[in-house]
Amino acid sequence: MAKTMKTFAELNFPGRLIAVEGLDGSGKSTQIYLLKRWLEAEGIKVYFSEWNSSELVKSATSKGKKRELLTPTTFSLIHATDFADRYERHLLPLLRAGYIVLCDRYVFTAFARDVTRGCPPDWVRGLYSFAAQPDITMFFKADLEVSLNRILEGRPKLKFFEAGMDLRLSTDPYESFRIFQGRILEQYMAMSGEFNFTVMDANQTVGKQQVLVRKLVSEKIDLKKFRRRSPLPLPPPATRLEDKSKEPDEDMAATV
Amino acid sequence: MSADAAKSESVRKGRKFYGHGIPGVQLEELTGKLIAVEGADGSGRSTQIARLVDWLETSGHATTQVGLKRSSLVSKELEQAQEGNILSRTTLSLFYATDFADQLENSILPALKAGFIVLADRYIYTLMARDMVRGMDEKWLKNLYGVALEPDAVFYLSVEPQELVQRNLAKNATLDYWESGMDLGLSRDMFDSFLKYQTAMQSSFKKLQKTYGFQIVDANRPVGSITKELRKKIRVLLAAP
Repeated sequence: MAKTMKTFAELNFPGRLIAVEGLDGSGKSTQIYLLKRWLEAEGIKVYFSEWNSSELVKSATSKGKKRELLTPTTFSLIHATDFADRYERHLLPLLRAGYIVLCDRYVFTAFARDVTRGCPPDWVRGLYSFAAQPDITMFFKADLEVSLNRILEGRPKLKFFEAGMDLRLSTDPYESFRIFQGRILEQYMAMSGEFNFTVMDANQTVGKQQVLVRKLVSEKIDLKKFRRRSPLPLPPPATRLEDKSKEPDEDMAATV
Repeated sequence: MSADAAKSESVRKGRKFYGHGIPGVQLEELTGKLIAVEGADGSGRSTQIARLVDWLETSGHATTQVGLKRSSLVSKELEQAQEGNILSRTTLSLFYATDFADQLENSILPALKAGFIVLADRYIYTLMARDMVRGMDEKWLKNLYGVALEPDAVFYLSVEPQELVQRNLAKNATLDYWESGMDLGLSRDMFDSFLKYQTAMQSSFKKLQKTYGFQIVDANRPVGSITKELRKKIRVLLAAP
């Protein structure tokens, strides 16, 4: 499947999509959160979407995970379902409306994880072939040990699938997690060039990384085009009287 | 080479997944038979399957039945989502594929391994035909269902849309929202929409038939004669190695 994915810019979407990828514990979620705060403060139309968060599919996924019902194939399919739901119902309309969409994990997470679980790469890529390529993909690369320690220190109980226990790599969840994460990292690195990842050094401090993140984003995207033109529409006068508490801060957006 | 070895050899040759299949499955271990019955609501699918199960079990064959939306993993969620009609087409397609794969791995493959006859009340072809009518890319669908095992036989119970509409109304006094393709906006009139949708489904099935070569059974006929024809075909299948 040598077909190259097109970015949203190349597809003439008014919006732009920025994705972060990396191992658990690489600090990518912190970075994209701080990016979101900045863009919001700049008065930019921004939307944040997280991997595996579609309300509709969630109950099936969590049941499957809790009862350990998932195989590599169904694990892959149920996450693709989750992604498709968010993609078609949220991401696409927002991108059509000129939003900057921030994704904590994108299809590359599936490419790395599902292939590590033994699904054929062509099949997995085929499943996600409806998705366009992000305009920016930042890969947060920390030393494997650093990522592992961040996770293992803070959250000592590892979940079954998170630790890759379904792969029977080791009976010890911690050992299994280490091997699993190592293999995922290999998969990520192998696709880094193909999908034009910007590799960020995640061993640096949070603040230093964020400076680089904001610099990269403002260089690659002409942010002023994505500002809200006007404050959010006010509610009609009849409801305004009762709802005074709900309309305080909107004027701030207008000042930017 | 002993007779048994020759026999298992021939089984091995016949069995295949449409694409890469499910990782780690030993095809030669799947000694049972997989029979899929396709057709619209009102084509007599369920009636025929019930009759076949009866006949097969009386003749000493163990059977298992599978069907759409019956997986323990997602059937409930899929039902809920469909009721609200809020899923977009790719999502619905993948949700159904998840439901299918779960049953394939947890019901179909184990039953075939145990030598059962598995009767599938609809298989991937209905799912593909529905998606094709909704404009999904055929190549994408083919890749998606590359996980599926090729059945030993597929019977498509073909009924004219005009006859289908009569049967559905006689049975339920109403037409099903999805079986009428109401989500497609073909017509505001349900009766009209049903006919248009079922006609489109038939042409999708015809297209798929060219690739997947299933047997088309004229199901406009009385129940008994259809059963007779199906039994005859299955008998041949069971006699083969």
